[in-house]
Amino acid sequence: MAAPMRPKDYHTLMSKTTKTGDPSRRRRSHHGDEELVHFRIVRFMMESGIKLRMTSVPMATAAIIYHRFFSICILQDYDPYLIGMTAISLASKVEEEHLKIRDVINVCYRTRHKDKPPLESQTELADLRQAMASCELLIMRVLGFNVTKELPHKYLLHYLKSLGDWIDASVWDRTPIRDTAWAMLRDLYHGKVCLQHEAQHLAVAVLYFSLLCFGIEVPLNNQAETKWWKVFSEDITEEEIKNIIEQIMDVYDLEQRL
Amino acid sequence: MKKIKRRLSLTLRGGRGVDESLSELAESMNIEESNAKDNGWPSRSGKQKGSSKALSKAESAAIVTLQPLMEVEGSLSKKQQLGPNISRMVSFFEGEPKLSKHFIRGKQHYRTMPSLARKSKTEPDFFLNDGASFRTIDKGRRMRKSESDSFFDEGTKASDKLFPIPTIDSNFNLPLWRRLSKGRMKTADFHSSSRLCIVHENARLGSDGESDQTSGTSNDDVHSPVKLRHKYPLQRRLSEDITKRLSLPADIHLPDNFLEKRSLSPPFPEGRLSRRMRRASLHEIGFGKMESYTKLDKLGEGTYATVFKGKSKLTDNLVALKEIRLEHEEGAPCTAIREVSLLKDLKHANIVTLHDIIHTEKSLTLVFEYLEKDLKQYMDDCGNIMSMTNVKLFLYQLLRGLNYCHRRRILHRDLKPQNLLINEKGELKLADFGLARAKSVPTKTYSNEVVTLWYRPPDVLLGSTEYSTPIDMWGVGCIFYEMSAGRPLFPGSTVEDELHLIFKTLGTPAAETWPGAMTNEDFLMYNFPHYEPEPLVNLAPRLEADGQDLASKLLQYEAKWRISAEEAMKHPYFNTLGPRIHKLPDTASIFTLDEIRLAKDPGYKSSSVGSSATMPRVPTSRSAISEPPGMCEEFLP
Repeated sequence: MAAPMRPKDYHTLMSKTTKTGDPSRRRRSHHGDEELVHFRIVRFMMESGIKLRMTSVPMATAAIIYHRFFSICILQDYDPYLIGMTAISLASKVEEEHLKIRDVINVCYRTRHKDKPPLESQTELADLRQAMASCELLIMRVLGFNVTKELPHKYLLHYLKSLGDWIDASVWDRTPIRDTAWAMLRDLYHGKVCLQHEAQHLAVAVLYFSLLCFGIEVPLNNQAETKWWKVFSEDITEEEIKNIIEQIMDVYDLEQRL
Repeated sequence: MKKIKRRLSLTLRGGRGVDESLSELAESMNIEESNAKDNGWPSRSGKQKGSSKALSKAESAAIVTLQPLMEVEGSLSKKQQLGPNISRMVSFFEGEPKLSKHFIRGKQHYRTMPSLARKSKTEPDFFLNDGASFRTIDKGRRMRKSESDSFFDEGTKASDKLFPIPTIDSNFNLPLWRRLSKGRMKTADFHSSSRLCIVHENARLGSDGESDQTSGTSNDDVHSPVKLRHKYPLQRRLSEDITKRLSLPADIHLPDNFLEKRSLSPPFPEGRLSRRMRRASLHEIGFGKMESYTKLDKLGEGTYATVFKGKSKLTDNLVALKEIRLEHEEGAPCTAIREVSLLKDLKHANIVTLHDIIHTEKSLTLVFEYLEKDLKQYMDDCGNIMSMTNVKLFLYQLLRGLNYCHRRRILHRDLKPQNLLINEKGELKLADFGLARAKSVPTKTYSNEVVTLWYRPPDVLLGSTEYSTPIDMWGVGCIFYEMSAGRPLFPGSTVEDELHLIFKTLGTPAAETWPGAMTNEDFLMYNFPHYEPEPLVNLAPRLEADGQDLASKLLQYEAKWRISAEEAMKHPYFNTLGPRIHKLPDTASIFTLDEIRLAKDPGYKSSSVGSSATMPRVPTSRSAISEPPGMCEEFLP
């Protein structure tokens, strides 16, 4: 089975750089840097996603596709922007929130090249389209055609709703705990932490963390036989929650390093 | 913690509407609530009531903190400065020519990517993190590459998997760079592990059965500190793996030369390599290669796919090859993506099995098991008079397959006799999951045009876009009737015609039969005349009383009143099948039970049939089915 594409079809619009094939240069790549690159790319994806009016769920799916791809493949071998852009379009297909490929390309191009005029040439667009179609298949093959993953969003919503009834209404309404939790859930997709834990655990950890941020305690939790997180997810331990929280904090640390 | 808070608030702004996301999710609540127990949702009755109130609170709170979209973009763009890192990045495409050293023997084959998937979660990742040095050492050595990759597995290159891995120290799970930085790994170790990579590559078996290991790399004096144990006779274990995995018959014919080859090859290590090993073996045998299949007749053609009958050279079994063209402007069709990702996970006796996926430059071919007929042809062949026993058996199998899907929150969305395949044993299997979806969070409106008009429930016909598992149950009712009566229940040609037919037969909805319709604008606009319901007995006189009862429960106007697949299987109508049928494992066919036998269909005319089989042994060529107007063009084996 031959390649899905030939070198002459390739286009490098998404990449600002010229070829850097020098192995010594490649070797210099550093794990920490890689995380930063991924952070930056996911932010690029999120920004494009907002402009494309994508909802949280396909956005999260896109980030997961992106991270999974690069947990299998080497960063230096691919243009991460192209992978990110393709992940957006693939996620929109998977989650049935259809986006036109042309829109995705135009928006991503603008997001990537803010200083350049919008993409006008039809050939460039066609090239990028071709590149994306090939890249899409590549991603699917790399991921073994397994492009769906359970997301924590619905769990978090359930948890927020039931916890909101349990916590004193005045406290609950005064603090933006729902927004914090939701924002945190969205942010954690910048890092690989989203791949490493079950959906339910992520949701619980996010909730735990946002309660912690605002210093809210779940009423009677210290007397309860079953802690509140056990109620939501039977198989989670407090250590595990703390472990996830640490990873989330790492993601925020990355932002500062940018 | 304060720091975090501050930074959080930064990113808070960057978000899209929390309120939108919440309300979008809130729509899902009703549907999801039935699943609440599995989700660890506390099922205290008092809690549920207040939940919608809490949500609206959440929404209003969220709106306050939201910032306009433009501002968000602005702040992002300021931060979006591209550091020096970017310059190190090599474009996907520019990286391409480097692959050429993986090309061998002048073949125009393309290895998916240089080091595609050398890592899966359970494996150590030192290959990955040291791609550069790996490659450098690689240079100048001849490597074999796989002819193509099998897609069943997460992209792991088949050729890696045949060689034993070294015994591992406690640091092994750390990435290489980390181990190096900790200084725990000495240079010598480093080299030996790099060499192992090479051995890995070279240990790949050639298609001629020789191991490359002995040929180009002997001067390297490689030795691997591996201990091996043999647990099973090689051949047996291999066949077992394959049959288990692909639900092929137990007497799979492995090519002789392949088996010979196996005995020459480095023996299988045991334990954690088994999955990769199996993958490698599958590829070695010929899965994932177009050469392994012979194309026979064309069975049908849809908008983006063509279905061929084919034969596997490996097993001599018939297969259905669904060839998906890829020159489509929008990339791979979304139905194809969903179909593959869904079917890969569905393993059930009443769901068509996906054997293999083959990828070529221009097309993606899905290899399905071949079944002789679909239900429509079956009914045609027996003159539309089916034995009532068979009606019951088919209905039960349909419900069984559907229940399995619904349990995994997958809707089929396109049930029709053309999508139910039947083999000579009478096993019925659901096919064509192109429109099916994994029912996760019902985030959005599903496209309105999904179910073939004749089997489309009235709520969808009237524009409902929020549906759940009951959408499939209406279709089951229609198919049940069609099998019993020998003609389609509601063969409407337009939406209005379809609704008209439904109401004429089942009565125009009233407040007590369908409360939801009373406020539906479409329904009021159509202004249907008043019809009294016709008794179901008149429609399908051959159907016994229990069957009538079940049909009426399936054909409820109000979606949430429709019986679920799980309950329907327990309906008294199926009592005559005996109790054991409910305890079958998912992958067992109902015909494994002695008491379940296919009956002879009264309308079936054939002289060539032996014993109790109701269908010809020789599969008939399945010419394209004439589809009624309004039918989905898509067509599956």
